[in-house]
Amino acid sequence: MSKERTSRARSRRTWRGIAGVAAGVVLVGGGFVAANAATTSGDAKKAGVHYPVDKKADGVAAVVSAANAFLNTLDSDQQAETVLDYSQANATAWSNLPCGSSCRVGIQTGSLSDEQLAALKNVLKVALGTGEGTGYEHVLETLLADDQLASAESSGSGPAAPSSDASASADPSADPSATASGAPTGAPPSGGTGAGGGGYGSDIYLMAFLGTPSVDGTWQLQFGGHHLAVNVTYKDGKVAGASPYFTGVEPTSWTADDGTTYEPMAKFRNGMLALTGSLSTEQLAKAKLSESFSDVLLGPGEDGQFPETKEGIKASELSPKQQKLVLAAIHPWVAGVDDATAKKLLKTYARELNKTYIGYSGGTGLDTQGDYVRIDGPSVWIEFVCQNGFVYQDKVHYHTVYRDHTRDYGSEFSFS
Amino acid sequence: MTRPRNWLTAALTRLVAGIAIVVPAALLLGASPAAAHPMPHSVVELDVYQASVSARLELPADDFSQASGIDLSDTTQATLSGKAKAIRTYLAKHIHPATTQGNAWQVSIGSLSLSSTEQTSTGPYRELVAEAVLTPPAGTDVRHFTFDYDVIVHQVITHTALVTVRQDWAAGQIEDEGTTQVGTIRVDTRTMTVPALKVDLGEGGAWRGFLAMVKLGGDHILTGTDHLLFLLILLLPAPLAATGGRWSGLVGARPALLRIGRITLAFTAGHSVALAATALGRLDIPDWPVEAFIAASILVGAIHAIRPLFPGKEALVAGVFGLGHGMAFSFVLAEMHLSTGQLVTSLLGFNLGIELVQLLLVCLALPSLLVLARLRVQPTLRLAGALLTATAAIGWLADRLGLPNPVARAADSAGSHTTAILAALTVTALAATAWTLTTRRHARPGPVEPPATKRPEREGRHAATTCEPYDRDQPADTADSVAT
Repeated sequence: MSKERTSRARSRRTWRGIAGVAAGVVLVGGGFVAANAATTSGDAKKAGVHYPVDKKADGVAAVVSAANAFLNTLDSDQQAETVLDYSQANATAWSNLPCGSSCRVGIQTGSLSDEQLAALKNVLKVALGTGEGTGYEHVLETLLADDQLASAESSGSGPAAPSSDASASADPSADPSATASGAPTGAPPSGGTGAGGGGYGSDIYLMAFLGTPSVDGTWQLQFGGHHLAVNVTYKDGKVAGASPYFTGVEPTSWTADDGTTYEPMAKFRNGMLALTGSLSTEQLAKAKLSESFSDVLLGPGEDGQFPETKEGIKASELSPKQQKLVLAAIHPWVAGVDDATAKKLLKTYARELNKTYIGYSGGTGLDTQGDYVRIDGPSVWIEFVCQNGFVYQDKVHYHTVYRDHTRDYGSEFSFS
Repeated sequence: MTRPRNWLTAALTRLVAGIAIVVPAALLLGASPAAAHPMPHSVVELDVYQASVSARLELPADDFSQASGIDLSDTTQATLSGKAKAIRTYLAKHIHPATTQGNAWQVSIGSLSLSSTEQTSTGPYRELVAEAVLTPPAGTDVRHFTFDYDVIVHQVITHTALVTVRQDWAAGQIEDEGTTQVGTIRVDTRTMTVPALKVDLGEGGAWRGFLAMVKLGGDHILTGTDHLLFLLILLLPAPLAATGGRWSGLVGARPALLRIGRITLAFTAGHSVALAATALGRLDIPDWPVEAFIAASILVGAIHAIRPLFPGKEALVAGVFGLGHGMAFSFVLAEMHLSTGQLVTSLLGFNLGIELVQLLLVCLALPSLLVLARLRVQPTLRLAGALLTATAAIGWLADRLGLPNPVARAADSAGSHTTAILAALTVTALAATAWTLTTRRHARPGPVEPPATKRPEREGRHAATTCEPYDRDQPADTADSVAT
């Protein structure tokens, strides 16, 4: 009897063991399947299409070549994520908010390997200019600022000691994703801080080519994330539009570990300060706008919504010296694109200067919430506004947008 | 390990116990908010009644000051009254609802308050809250109107006002359900004007209101952890017999079911009567004594689950305390400011919803209650459950008496995880049913070797380990020699 009992007990133990193993297999297997579904597993990667690269090309051909070189580093799924339809919906899918991929299209920086990321940066370098004070350098500094913001936020709100960011790379030309706590390459696109595809940090920026990059077709280069939206439209081998271009920054300045002080938007702000600072009391009174601003008026989603009546003081009423200051103030935004295009755009804006208005609201110091300056011409539209900080709550931060009344998105779309 | 164990029974027992621990733990962990940071916008929340619309304006204080010229930066709730007149004048100047034919509605600005708030990752900011009542000319449509509103927006032209409906009984939308968006009001940047918002609330009807109330009643009992907890803690010792001031032994399945039925019925009768009386009488009862009474009722129930305080009189107690719970239910209706016709319909629907969900929950809890009473760990689990409930009750009691505390907050927040609660109850019910079935099957062939006694039931109980098999009407005294 007791023998029978032991044997029953033993068989039960066996069953229990089998059941345990089975449960384990189901759990582990389920987890494996789920993990596989979440990331594209390495084995399943399909090689992408190969695009022609011409290292000796210049102008738009060089941008196309760099874009193709980037695409060649991607597998076919990634290429499909990057090269999208050239449609109005995709073209206008940009934002200044930290909403990650939920408000943007394209492939996310945090999902790229080092090699892929280097190729992505090369696209920006070729498209946005290589020298100092160019769009490329500005983009890198904007990404560094967002890493700074991310680390300040994670180390508690308020202005954390600027040097407390242990992992931030100080060299602006360094890999902007280096701060991603050594994120493994090929991490899922939802990686980084973004629970819902949002958050702060250089990992959460997206690049897209709307239409296949070419020297004879129409396509748009899009790169953006928190506080940044680069939109360059190419048509028949020429830059047809370098706007809308949103650039903002928080913190407005900080010192990195190596002692380097960054102030990505100093040139933008100083140009505006020089302009408003040159205005006489009388001119200021004319330039004063009656409305108040807590953000830029024509941010994301406000395409084509330019006010029908221009407000402020007309540049034709300014002295030649002041008029030069207007052009100098415009320059940093226009310089966001390649040098040749920037020069051409600036020439247009200089020609239209007499019909260009300068307006401001709040104070002229650009250091208080609601301080606002606008340059509104027949073509050019630039807004600069100070907003209370979100992470650095006792400091203001900047939001700015550059648009062109006729050249936004290369004049390819009409907005009602 | 001399005793053979039924691994399936053991596993199920563990599962039931595991769920009991894991579920509340999971409930207490909230989800983190999503990131995004637009500038704070205004919110205009509309409550649509039969002959008027009330609007709650939530206005970010900075932008309000900027737009109105009324500086609120140093103003506190206490000194707000000094600026109330200026604020009301400003608001009245910028709120102009009108009928679709263009006839102006009447606008009256009521109470004002200042508070701190936060929209999705805007960071905390101060806001001015104003209550307004918008009344159309007598006999005109309250559901279709032109909302000419430009508070703040006329000056801070980057500002947006979001217009939502919080309560619209006739459209089946009632409080606690979240709001639906009607539209946004902002400047048209091309013309620099603020276009009026056309508000179309559709056609309303009493049936939709009734259905919404049924749902609200169900939600209310499901999310109102206090009501549910009171009932469950009273039901917990229902299958047990009280002897000598202690819970010892079982009363058997049929008496247990009868008790559970009586208690539930009495609770239902109590709260229905009180609900109808307070709602229809439009009695204005202060809520904290009622809420405190409810907390006390749960505490009494918890103590009763540990040591019988009123054995055999559970139904009476449930009925009396049910009165208190019914009064609390009536607050929901009172807040809705319904017309009498809507109120009667609402009362029926609301109560029906409460009873349906209560019935469902009791049915779901039933197998577990019956099985739990038979488990060897029953006294421990009962004690743990009672102590947990008592803790929540004390937390609530302190909170209702003016001492906010984390215990009350945690207990309240548990009610927001209805899916998890329902899932847990369902799984436990299934587990308990499965347990009953397996133990019965294992017990039926009977024991092979009777070491001590000749009674088959008793033997079966030992053979099947942790717990007894299905032993109907077994005398109480023999039932629980294993435990205690």
